[in-house]
Amino acid sequence: MSRPVNPPFTAAVTGLGLVTAAGAGTDNVWRNVTRGVVAASSVGPREELRDLPCDFMYAIGPDLLDTTRLLGVATQRLMDRFAQLAVLAAREAVADAGLDPSVWDSGRVAVVIGSAHGGLPFYDEQHTALTTKGPRRVSPKLAPLTVVNSAASSVCMDLGVRGPSMAVSTACSSGTVAIGTAHQMLRTGACDIAIAGGAESVCSRLLIASACQMKAVSTRRDDPAAACRPFDADRDGFVVGEGSGLLVMERPEHATARGARIRAGIAGYGATSDSYSAVAPDPDGKGIENALRTALTDAGVTPSDIGHVNAHGTSTVFNDLIEATMLHRLLGADPLVTSTKAMTGHTLGAAGGIETALTVLALEHQLVPPTANLESLDPRVPVEVVAKASRPATFDCAVKTSLGFGGHNAALVLTRG
Amino acid sequence: MASATDAVSTLMVQKFGVEPAAVRPEIPLYELRMDSLALEEFRILIEEQLEIDLEDAALTSRNTVGELVEVVELVHSRTLR
Repeated sequence: MSRPVNPPFTAAVTGLGLVTAAGAGTDNVWRNVTRGVVAASSVGPREELRDLPCDFMYAIGPDLLDTTRLLGVATQRLMDRFAQLAVLAAREAVADAGLDPSVWDSGRVAVVIGSAHGGLPFYDEQHTALTTKGPRRVSPKLAPLTVVNSAASSVCMDLGVRGPSMAVSTACSSGTVAIGTAHQMLRTGACDIAIAGGAESVCSRLLIASACQMKAVSTRRDDPAAACRPFDADRDGFVVGEGSGLLVMERPEHATARGARIRAGIAGYGATSDSYSAVAPDPDGKGIENALRTALTDAGVTPSDIGHVNAHGTSTVFNDLIEATMLHRLLGADPLVTSTKAMTGHTLGAAGGIETALTVLALEHQLVPPTANLESLDPRVPVEVVAKASRPATFDCAVKTSLGFGGHNAALVLTRG
Repeated sequence: MASATDAVSTLMVQKFGVEPAAVRPEIPLYELRMDSLALEEFRILIEEQLEIDLEDAALTSRNTVGELVEVVELVHSRTLR
């Protein structure tokens, strides 16, 4: 039986919200990411991670983002940090889109936010309370704060959203799958507006201790700012980061009717599963290749149309090699590839949201940010990776790829607004 | 040692974001966004701070600040004895 062919659909991206270790607020993040110099203040040792083989992560310092001042104690106490970051990114994205939550048709607004671990830090803290102080000292807020959907529900409460809302959880591709899911919801008319992307904050001794045992994270403790180095010959693993990146997406007629500025389009989405391993990606990259193929077909574009790829590029030996080899196989050597993770850290479930927002900005500015810390390209990497400085270029289409533990692959095709 | 009244109002301001001026005896707790979930969390915090056991105290968000203080004070004074 032949596959159904959907009519093309390009969702309008009308707003962006970003809070990352590279900056709070979209303008700050873009300025720092295009500069491509990792600030020592954005990544460093954490008390919670003391004595672990990887004792550092990317974090948003209180000088960049005072969550208590911005949210107020009464609101903040009902969210773990990943949800707080989502609420702040959502406020920025909605304001950027020129939307007024006091007058919008709130039942036609959706929220889809990806996260891998949700409120793991609160889980961790309360488990400690249980084992050290007993059950009578465990907070009654455990379930509402730790469920992965609490970023979405917190955004709904904060902005008065009354349409469909949900979490998407596919490990490190969660943010990309959330945007793809929002694309499908807008396409079917389930909503007029979708706030979509990802949020993550896991400064958790438990999780990082396990990631160390897995040998997945960098152990470059003597130089944390140089530890995440995607596609570099000396890379030795990823470095966790916290953050949130959200897009306001709209049905194109809706955006046009209200005279919104369309920053870019989400034109195609593809998702696949490796059916291979709990952690390792398919060594041939077949899963991510098929996701990208599907996204290209969905967008009605050919590989030669793609001028830029914001890659998953985690800085692990295997991911970067498998992904780069796949990109070369499918798209050839021409697209300008970058990984922005050395600026933000690997924000796990938030990564796809943050990086899709950065891809929107790259299309708008016709500028590809450099892969920070890339000193000497792994000779086995066959694609054109932008390094050292941002590269101006002319391109109408760009791609965002994401791969998640469990073999969850996702790809988006973006077009100029 | 802090009095029960002080402990209650300090916790409400610092941990629940209630405006200091709004902590008045006649105000029902729900008006201060102290719903049932908040009250259960409050119970843990005040128990820990004053080293008391409020397990048997019936607290609802329809109670006023004054009634809450009264319950805490009663249990606190019994514990001290």
